[in-house]
Amino acid sequence: MRGATILKATDDKTRELNQHNLMAFSGEAGDTIQFAEYIQANIRLYTMRNTTSLPPPAVSSFVRSELSRALRSRRPYTVNLLLGGYDTITDTPALYWIDYLAALAKVPYAAHGYAQYYCLSILDKHHHPDIGFERGMELLRMCTDELKRRLPVDFKGVTVKVVTREGIREVEYVDDKPVKSA
Amino acid sequence: MAAIFTGAPPNSGPGYSFTQTPAPTSASEPRQHAFYPYTDNGGSTLGISSSNFTILAGDTRSTSGYNINTRYAPKLFHIDSADPSSRLVLSVVGFAADGEALAERLDTVVKMYRYQHGKTISVGAAAQRLSHVLYGKRFFPYYVHAILGGLDEEGKGALYSYDPVGSYEREQCRAAGAAASLIMPFLDNQVNYKNQYVAGSGVGHELQQRDPRPLERKEVEELVRDAFTSAVERHIEVGDGLQMMVITKEGVEEVYRELKKD
Amino acid sequence: MDTLVAQYSRPSGQQEGYSQDEQQELLQLTPPLSLKFALPPIAQPSSWLRAMTDDYSNPNCPIKIAHGTTTLAFRFQGGIIVATDSRATAGNWIASQTVKKVIEINNCLLGTMAGGAADCQYWLAYLGMQCRLHELRHKRRISVAAASKILANLVYSYKGMGLSMGTMCAGVTPQEGPALYYIDSDGTRLSGNLFCVGSGQTFAYGVLDAQYSYDLSEEDALDLGRRSILAATHRDAYSGGYINLYHVKESGWVKHGFSDTNPIFWKTKLEKGEFSNVTSELE
Repeated sequence: MRGATILKATDDKTRELNQHNLMAFSGEAGDTIQFAEYIQANIRLYTMRNTTSLPPPAVSSFVRSELSRALRSRRPYTVNLLLGGYDTITDTPALYWIDYLAALAKVPYAAHGYAQYYCLSILDKHHHPDIGFERGMELLRMCTDELKRRLPVDFKGVTVKVVTREGIREVEYVDDKPVKSA
Repeated sequence: MAAIFTGAPPNSGPGYSFTQTPAPTSASEPRQHAFYPYTDNGGSTLGISSSNFTILAGDTRSTSGYNINTRYAPKLFHIDSADPSSRLVLSVVGFAADGEALAERLDTVVKMYRYQHGKTISVGAAAQRLSHVLYGKRFFPYYVHAILGGLDEEGKGALYSYDPVGSYEREQCRAAGAAASLIMPFLDNQVNYKNQYVAGSGVGHELQQRDPRPLERKEVEELVRDAFTSAVERHIEVGDGLQMMVITKEGVEEVYRELKKD
Repeated sequence: MDTLVAQYSRPSGQQEGYSQDEQQELLQLTPPLSLKFALPPIAQPSSWLRAMTDDYSNPNCPIKIAHGTTTLAFRFQGGIIVATDSRATAGNWIASQTVKKVIEINNCLLGTMAGGAADCQYWLAYLGMQCRLHELRHKRRISVAAASKILANLVYSYKGMGLSMGTMCAGVTPQEGPALYYIDSDGTRLSGNLFCVGSGQTFAYGVLDAQYSYDLSEEDALDLGRRSILAATHRDAYSGGYINLYHVKESGWVKHGFSDTNPIFWKTKLEKGEFSNVTSELE
């Protein structure tokens, strides 16, 4: 977005840090990509040097500390992040919520910005720790439907990526059905 | 560079003069409103009602910022005290002048009701009238938190609390004013037994909430005294004296106790 | 300048005691519920009032007015569900946890309260009076459309003066069936199937929209209303306390409790496994 014009409707706001860690970001234009690609490069460098991938807790700590260091510098990054990872050793998925002030929380579900106000209550009700992939996609559909129904802006669709034991993959997400308000 | 001591009052505090204007946060900021007809005279009030009585209490200190104006400025007003069957007491905290004006206004209203109807007004009706009196100044509010105490038609203690523009609610207990945030949690715990559980009723989620019961007059007076002696220890605007009014079917009894004067 | 001169050249003593108008008002037999309000003696009463009472634009304002809420109402085949929380806040201070935010205008009309507590209480009481007068004058009950229009016109006449209210009128009348209107202090008046109002509205909408349908059974509708308020009290710090639940039917409204959120929350979590973001034991 520049002023009130959409420059690109299919911008990927995620970066793959390593095989099992994906970072989604939002915030100040410029800051977001710069920070995400800086983190991506450093995590990759670590993987190459040590021939082993950092697991999600380590990635989250690294990201948080980098953001926190930048926050206390002359020009901080204004970036909100969601980190999705899969720990192949303990065989567990992990999600981290990090805001631009470098506050970090490990959570079962998360959102940033206005989506928080609409989606968290839905997830509070419908999320269970033991849900499968299909149910997960249903919950996502409930959330995006609600955003389409209630947000005063059209956010031009969503990119959906899934992190599993097998790695990161993009899922086709058909989102052209109009949502009727009650 | 401002002088360390200019003799002027502290920046965020009140002025020495009674023409008090809020101090601008920084010197460059233009003063937005020259019209500031309020001052906070500090102090605290509280009320507790039970099965057959209501107690209202307030400290008697009056302050302007860090100055103590007087050690005896009552915040409790017996409404229509000329009527022997009057069981209404109003407590007001905030801006004392508005408080007194409000008490006077309610006094007149209650008197007029008696003259015109030939009977004493009920607390319910008085409570609603007070709400309307406050709302009548919705666009130029009385800077007060009022609590009205009395006995209802069944002889039970009645207590109504108000916000500055007249929203009101009947409650068992209420603290208002400077030390409300110190006293109210204490009252929740000791009057309504909030966060108290029946001993031995289980652990975790099995714990049973302790049911509130109507308190005895002696217990309530002790609670009031404890609330105020504690508030005096931790709040600079509370102290000097404790004025209590006990409303029973026999009448309105006034009790005065000393509080610390430092 | 003239006003200044007038202000200071008044004969002394004239302003003491009650003015003629005030004396007249005090003498009146019935409380007037008047439309005459005292105004501060300045040019811009509304901006002055905002500086004194709006804790959002001015956190150090001297007069804190109670705010913050979640209220909802929705229409379904069995009538209208109305649900609210019960918390009143003044800044960060929880002024009360036991506010009745559903106002019973008469035995088949309900109003909800969001925004300034006093504004809602006073004007919905005023609306109740107008509804009763309508009944007496026309020998039949007022329609919800008309009642909500009285309120909307009323608050619109005070637009810009600083009233703050977001209210819903719910009622069932023979001519309209179940009718639901949203009215706010900007002057908006909308009819609709479903509204949530207050600081926690988005959270309530989230839960409500996901499962709302006009064909809900009575029990499911009550549960959904309760659960939506619970969701809002969980995520919105300005909402909490008790859940106040009403069902408006053709025969009038029925109250379905004023129940503490805390036990309902734990029951929902432990029995249905919801709220998985809250841990019930230490890791």
